[in-house]
Amino acid sequence: MKKDRANLAKNIYIKNKFKFRINSIQSVITLSFTSITLLAMIFIGIAFFSTFSDNAEKNAASSMQQIMNQATINLENYLHSMIGISDLIQSKISVAPLGNLEEINDVLSLTLEIRKDIVAVSIYTDNGNLLLTSPKYQYDNTYLVTQQEWFLKSIEDPLDYLFQPPHVQRLFEDKRPWVISLSHGITSDVSSIPQQFITKVDMNFSVIEQLCSEVVLGQRGYIYIVDSSGNIIYHPQQQLIYTGLKQEDIEEALKKEPGSYLDTYQGEKRITTIMNIEHANWTMVGVSFLDEIVQNKRNLNALIIITLLFGIIFIIIASIFISSKISQPIKRLEHQMNKVERGDFNIDNLEVKGEDEVKQLTKAFNLMIIRIKQLMNQIVTEQESKRKSEIKALQAQINPHFLYNTLDSIIWMNENKKYDGVSEMTAALAKLFRISLSKGSETISICDEIEHARSYLIIQKIRYKKKFDFTIDLPNNLCKYKTVKLILQPIIENAIYHGINKIQEHGVISIKVVKKETFVLFVITDNGYGISQDNLKKVMNQESTSRHSSGVGIKNVNERLKLSYGNDYGIEINSEFEVGTTIFIKIPLVEE
Amino acid sequence: MNTLKKIIILFLTSLLVFSLVSCTKNTLSTRENEYIIKVIVKKSDHDFWAVVKMGAEAAGKEFNVTIDFDGPTDEEDIDGQIRMVEAAINNNVDALVLAASDFIRLVPVAEKAKDANIPVIIIDSNIDSANMDSFIGTDNVDGGRKLGESLISVVGNSSNIVIVNFVKGAASATERESGLLSLLDDYPGITILETVYCNSDEQIATQMTLALIKKYPQLDTFVCLNAYATVGVARGVVGESKEGDVLIIGFDSTPEEISFLEKDVIQSLVVQNPFSMGYLGVKYAIAALNNESVPKTIKTDFKVINKENMYLPENQKLVFPFVD
Repeated sequence: MKKDRANLAKNIYIKNKFKFRINSIQSVITLSFTSITLLAMIFIGIAFFSTFSDNAEKNAASSMQQIMNQATINLENYLHSMIGISDLIQSKISVAPLGNLEEINDVLSLTLEIRKDIVAVSIYTDNGNLLLTSPKYQYDNTYLVTQQEWFLKSIEDPLDYLFQPPHVQRLFEDKRPWVISLSHGITSDVSSIPQQFITKVDMNFSVIEQLCSEVVLGQRGYIYIVDSSGNIIYHPQQQLIYTGLKQEDIEEALKKEPGSYLDTYQGEKRITTIMNIEHANWTMVGVSFLDEIVQNKRNLNALIIITLLFGIIFIIIASIFISSKISQPIKRLEHQMNKVERGDFNIDNLEVKGEDEVKQLTKAFNLMIIRIKQLMNQIVTEQESKRKSEIKALQAQINPHFLYNTLDSIIWMNENKKYDGVSEMTAALAKLFRISLSKGSETISICDEIEHARSYLIIQKIRYKKKFDFTIDLPNNLCKYKTVKLILQPIIENAIYHGINKIQEHGVISIKVVKKETFVLFVITDNGYGISQDNLKKVMNQESTSRHSSGVGIKNVNERLKLSYGNDYGIEINSEFEVGTTIFIKIPLVEE
Repeated sequence: MNTLKKIIILFLTSLLVFSLVSCTKNTLSTRENEYIIKVIVKKSDHDFWAVVKMGAEAAGKEFNVTIDFDGPTDEEDIDGQIRMVEAAINNNVDALVLAASDFIRLVPVAEKAKDANIPVIIIDSNIDSANMDSFIGTDNVDGGRKLGESLISVVGNSSNIVIVNFVKGAASATERESGLLSLLDDYPGITILETVYCNSDEQIATQMTLALIKKYPQLDTFVCLNAYATVGVARGVVGESKEGDVLIIGFDSTPEEISFLEKDVIQSLVVQNPFSMGYLGVKYAIAALNNESVPKTIKTDFKVINKENMYLPENQKLVFPFVD
C-alpha cells in the first residue's frame, strides 16, 4: 500500500518532468515572452515593408530623375561646347570671310587636334561651294550639298543651331563614318554684298555614348535620346534597332510631357522618364524595369521573413533558456518536495542558490523539513519513554497477596518454632525484592535472574509444603551476560499455579540455561498438568488475572523481550496435556 | 545541460549571422559570364564577317556571354575551318555558331559537336545536315532571284551576262545561282555566256574579268554572287576602263563596293544583313543552351541598293554598319 503510493508519486514526477505543462512557470514565461516579441517583430516588419513598398515606385522614379538630370546637364554642356566651336569659327569668318582662310584653317586643325570627338568641320558658301574642311581628305565630288535637307534648312533659317540625327558622313571619298552634326549659318557683311556661309561640325558618338552609358538605371535600365522627329540620336542598342532586331516605343515617348510614367511595352512594365534637352530640341528618355523594383521588394520581403524567422527561433531558445534558468531551482525544490511527499525525510539540506525568492523558498523549506524531523523524533522519544515507564510500573507492581501469604507463612513458621524455615524464607524474600528492584535498572546479569528465580522457588516450595522440587542448571561462565530482568518468575509462577498445583504427584521444575553461539536459551520444564491447545493461545495473549500472580503475565514477558531484543527473540511454549510443559526463552548474547 | 544549451545558442546565433550575410551577398552578387560561345566564320578579316562579329558581340553584351570569334584567313581553307570546329569541341565551348565554308565537308565535324552536346547554330551558309539547332541566314535562293530582278531592272530584257560565282560546293553559292537561273528562265533575252568561280578571291576575280572581257566582246553585264566576286570584277572593269560600258550587279555592301556604287562602276547591290546573322546566331545559341525552343530556320532580310536609294535613312543603316 505504502509502496504503491510511492510508485504513483514517482510516476507523476516522471510524467511532469517530460510532459510539456502549459501552466508551468517555464512555459508561461516562454510563451508570453515569445508572443510579445513576435508581435513586436511582425509589427515592425510589416510597417517597414509597407513603408518601403508604397514608396518603391515613387523612389525609383525620383532617383531616376535625379540621375537623368545630371546626364541632361552634362549633355547640354556638351552641346553647348559644340555651339561654342561653331560660333568661334563663324566669328572668324564674319570678320574676314575669304582673306582669313589660313587662320581659320589653323583654328580648325587645332580644334580637331584637341577634340577627338569632332570628326570633321566643313564650311560652305550659300551656293553650296565647299570653302574649307578639316581634316583635309579627298572630297567626294558626288556629294551635292545643295540637295541635302540640312543645308537647305540652314540657308532658310541660318540662326537656328541645327542638330542632325545620326547619318553617314559623305564629305570625303571612301570615308563613311556615322556622325551627328551641327549646322549653322552666318552672314558676313564685311564686303559690300552680304554673303552667307554655312558651317557644319560633325561629331562622333564617343562623348554622347560615354555620357549616356554612365547612367545606370538598375540592372537592365538604360537611357536613349531622340530628336523631335523621332530619329534616334543615341541608344545603347542602336544597331539592333537600326537592323530591326529591337524596337523602342519612341512615338509614345515623344507624345509625353517631361516627367515619369508607368507604362507597359512588349509585355514589360516599365518606368519611363522623359526629359528635354536644351539647344538641340532633343528628348532624353530613361527606361527602368518594374520587375527589378519588384525583385528588390521580393528580396526585402525575403530578408524580412528570414530575419523574423531567425529572430523567432532565437527568441524561443532564449526564452526557453531564461525561463528554465528561473524555474530550474523551483523544479529542483519540487523534486525534493515530491520525495518528502513520498515519506522520505532523509534528504540533505537543499543547496540554497538561484534568485532571492527561490533562495527564501529553499531556506523556508529546509527549515520546515528540519522542524518536521525534530517533531517526529520528539514523538518517537516520548512514546518510547511512556512505554518504558509503563513497563517499569508493571515491574514495580508486587502482588500484595503474594506478600501477605509469604508473611503469613513466616509468622506461622515462627509460631511453630520452625526457625530454620523462617530464616530461609525471610532471606529468600529479601533477595527476591533486592533483585527485582535492582536499583531501577532494566537489565541484570543472568546469574541475578537465576538467583531471583531460585528465591521465588524457595519461598513457594516452603509454602506448598514441599509439594515439588526444583533443579537449576547454570553453567559458570554465563554471569557476564545480561538479560531483561524478571522473565523467569512469571513462567515459574504459571508452572506452579496451573501445572504442579493441579496434579497429585510430586512436582518437578527444572531450569536450564544453555549458551549457544549467538544466543542464550532458558529452558523451564515442569511435569505439571500441561496446557491444552486452546489455552496455549490464551496464555500467550492474556495478561495474568490470577489472584496469586505477581501481575506480570507470560505475554508481558514475551513483549518485553521482543521490544528489547527484536522479533527473533522471545518465548516459545511446548506443552503436552497431563504430561508437562517446556518453555524456551531465547535472548541474545549481551555482555556487560 | 547549461553548457549544451550555450553551445546550441552559439551555433544558432552564428547560423543566423551567417545566413543574413549570405542573403546580402546573394542580393548584391552580379552574374558572371556564364557561357562561352564560339563563332567560326568563313574568313576572319573581311568587312562582311566583321559585321557578323559586331552582331555576335552585341548579343554577347546583351546576354552576358563571352564571344570567341574566329575564322580561317582564307575562305577556301575548309580543312582549317574543320580544325577550328574540332578545337572548339575539344575546348569544351558551350555553343557553336558556324558559317560553313562547305555544304558537305563540315557535316561530320558539326555533327560531332552536336554529339558532344554542344548546340550548333549555322549562319549564312548551311550544311547538309538536319541535326543542327538552327540555320540563320539569307534565303539564298530568293537572294539569287533578287539579283536577277535587279539585273532585269538595270539592263532590261536582253543582255549577255557572265555569272561570277565564288566557291563551288558552298551552299550559299549553289542556292544563289539556282535562284538566279530560275528567274532568268523567264527571260529568254538574257544570254549566259559563262559561269565562273573565283574561289572567293578578289584577285582571281579581277584576272578572270580581264580575260572574260577580252574573250567575250559582246559581254555587257557581270552578275556577281558575293562580295569578293563583286569587288574583284569591279576592279577588273575599272582596270579595263569599261565602267559604264560593262555593268555590274553585285552582292553585299563592303565599303569598296559602296565606293564603286557611288562611282557608277556597280549598278546595283543585293545587301544582306550580316549583323542580324551574328546577333541572332548567338541569341539562339543561348536559347538552345537554355533548352528553349529554337526555330529551325530563320530568314534574315536583304535589300536591293543602288546609287539613288543608298543614302535613304532606312538603307544607310543597312549599308553602313553602325559602329559605336
